[in-house]
Amino acid sequence: MSVSARLGILFLAPALIFVTLFFFAPVVLTGVFSFTNMSTATGITGGAYQVTSNVLRQLADEGFEKSTLDRLGAKSYVVSAQALVVATTEGVVDKAVLVELESKHLGKTYQSRRDFERFLKKLKNRPRSTRDLKKISPYFRASLMGQRFESEEVLFAMLASLDLGLPDPQMRHVARASYTGWVWGTGNFKRMFSLGDNLRVLRNTGIYVVATLLLFNTGFALVLAIATFYLPGRHSAFFRGLWLLPRITPPVLYVLLWKWLAWDTGFINTILANFDIQSRNWMLDTGANAWLFVVLINGFVGASMGMIIFASAIKAIPQTMLHASEVDGANRWQQIRHIILPQIKWPIMFITVYQTLSLLTSFEYIWLSTDGGPGTSTEVWALAAFHAALDNYWGNLQYGYGAALALVLVVIGVVMSLIYLRLFNFDALITRPRIEQ
Amino acid sequence: MVGHSRNWPVIAGLGLISIPLLVMYIYLFVDTVTDSPAGSVLPNRFTLEHWRFLTEGIEGKGNIWKVTLNTAIFASVTTTVVLLVSSMAGYALSRLNVPMRRYFLAGVLMLHAFPSVTLIIAIFLILQMVGLYNTLIGVILVKSTLELPLGIWIMKGFYDTVPWEIEMAGIVDGASRFRVWRSLVLPQVQPGIVALGVFSFLAGWSEYVLPQVLAPSSNVQVLSVYLASLIADDQHFDFNLFKSVGMFYIIPVIILYIFFQNKLMNIYGGGIKG
Repeated sequence: MSVSARLGILFLAPALIFVTLFFFAPVVLTGVFSFTNMSTATGITGGAYQVTSNVLRQLADEGFEKSTLDRLGAKSYVVSAQALVVATTEGVVDKAVLVELESKHLGKTYQSRRDFERFLKKLKNRPRSTRDLKKISPYFRASLMGQRFESEEVLFAMLASLDLGLPDPQMRHVARASYTGWVWGTGNFKRMFSLGDNLRVLRNTGIYVVATLLLFNTGFALVLAIATFYLPGRHSAFFRGLWLLPRITPPVLYVLLWKWLAWDTGFINTILANFDIQSRNWMLDTGANAWLFVVLINGFVGASMGMIIFASAIKAIPQTMLHASEVDGANRWQQIRHIILPQIKWPIMFITVYQTLSLLTSFEYIWLSTDGGPGTSTEVWALAAFHAALDNYWGNLQYGYGAALALVLVVIGVVMSLIYLRLFNFDALITRPRIEQ
Repeated sequence: MVGHSRNWPVIAGLGLISIPLLVMYIYLFVDTVTDSPAGSVLPNRFTLEHWRFLTEGIEGKGNIWKVTLNTAIFASVTTTVVLLVSSMAGYALSRLNVPMRRYFLAGVLMLHAFPSVTLIIAIFLILQMVGLYNTLIGVILVKSTLELPLGIWIMKGFYDTVPWEIEMAGIVDGASRFRVWRSLVLPQVQPGIVALGVFSFLAGWSEYVLPQVLAPSSNVQVLSVYLASLIADDQHFDFNLFKSVGMFYIIPVIILYIFFQNKLMNIYGGGIKG
């Protein structure tokens, strides 16, 4: 391998490591997580086995026999080797009793505390006082309920010691039902397609992307670029500078300014108070108003990128073409319609593709302004994924379901960035290195 | 070509649509140093009391200077990482005979267009699993990575404009490719490094989603998260205070923007020439 190739790989290595860890891995893992039911409740690492009353209810629904369930749920007392070890090391109980239990009664099971204690009273080495006797029983309590088993084997051993006579498949069923960690499954996708709310969110996303894109990110961006092209330098610099402000303003502050404009005690209300119009939160009082602000907030930021690109594309149009058209008596409108727009066809296409993708997946400004409200009227897909997985009112963050929602956007993102790649004259970007060593 | 008499309707139209922006940004400044009587938008008193948070802090919130320091660390370390990694990778893609160079370049372009914000859920879980959740290091690594595709793309563009003759001269003089890069080529792309550096710094300084989601704890709080928590807090509802904190937050941005406006324009336009 040439020196140049070796140095090249060395130079690319840091970038590759970063991109693999925090770009490729998340793409793949979004897919992986979407096939799990990970949530705050299941945790994200492992889980344990725990039979709770909920689990019993679920098993009952799934057709387990009532007698089996009663025994699973019962508090029983078992003379087990494990309990003996614990009781011995803690030393609260008289040793002699424990020795007797171990040698003669190992494995005996009692259904209630009373039965167990009645049995203890008959032992040869029983403690003198009833108080001491009562101290023994907690060690031998062997109820499944509420106990945490770190692995399936331990749970099975426990089930076996209860002597339920459950066949293997049923044991495994109990294990599955009582597992507290996350499991694999396609439940997220079933839920995604069946939930009626998602249809609404999908429609919202469509409105949001199309309205913002047409009105501002390409529409008004074109107006700005063309208008500032014709305006004298001073004016055009002013308007371009002004419309770049939202882009350089940190999002939190930018949205704060809109809140100041629209909220109850804000600017609009103060002005309207002079006309006796009731003060209200214009950003959140109705769905329609919320939409207006969502589109305005995103559009005022989005217009600048199109403006910059269109402006530089218009500047690149040969002046002679414009002069010639003027000599031919074309007015400005005809000039724009027949020369400028056809000449900047590709930049317009590029901006449309790029901005569609970024609008489709962005939720920052909506999150900061309406947070999807009022109700869910401005909830878009990307925000719904974010809400499900990382920020909801119920406290149980559903990582798996959120990942499934995000996966849809990731797939769209991959497809559209491939289209984006096609928009470039790719071969022109690659010049062969001229030093071969 | 320019008929001045016909410009006024255009100016009036643009002006009308620009009113919200003008009002918002003028009052951003005005409201930090004045008070207005209730029910009026016209200030009647000059005051500096909205800036008291700088010396006295805000009740129940962290120390503003600590938060500012966190923000500066976050933005500058991110910038350093982005500059270092992109100036190396950009050079490899522009000038070196790397195997599969074509595919690397296509990959960079694709990642540049790819909406990285969709990955936030998976990134959150990864940071939890590796124990970098709620650390500044974790957010820095993530933010740097997400800036890399643009950074590499821009640096590659700047390297492309460096004449080959410079490098050839270095090679003829017996310098290694690394030496040539280090002492001959890097100085040539200095404008690119400055532009990308300023851009990355501003991007880090303004970032909200990543620190809010990946490092919300108070000892690693940055200014964006601080300001957002201030606004979300119903206890002290005071737009003048919010705007003063916001003004404090945006001052470095405005200074950098004024000095580097032209360099930044290229990058805000997506880093694509033409």
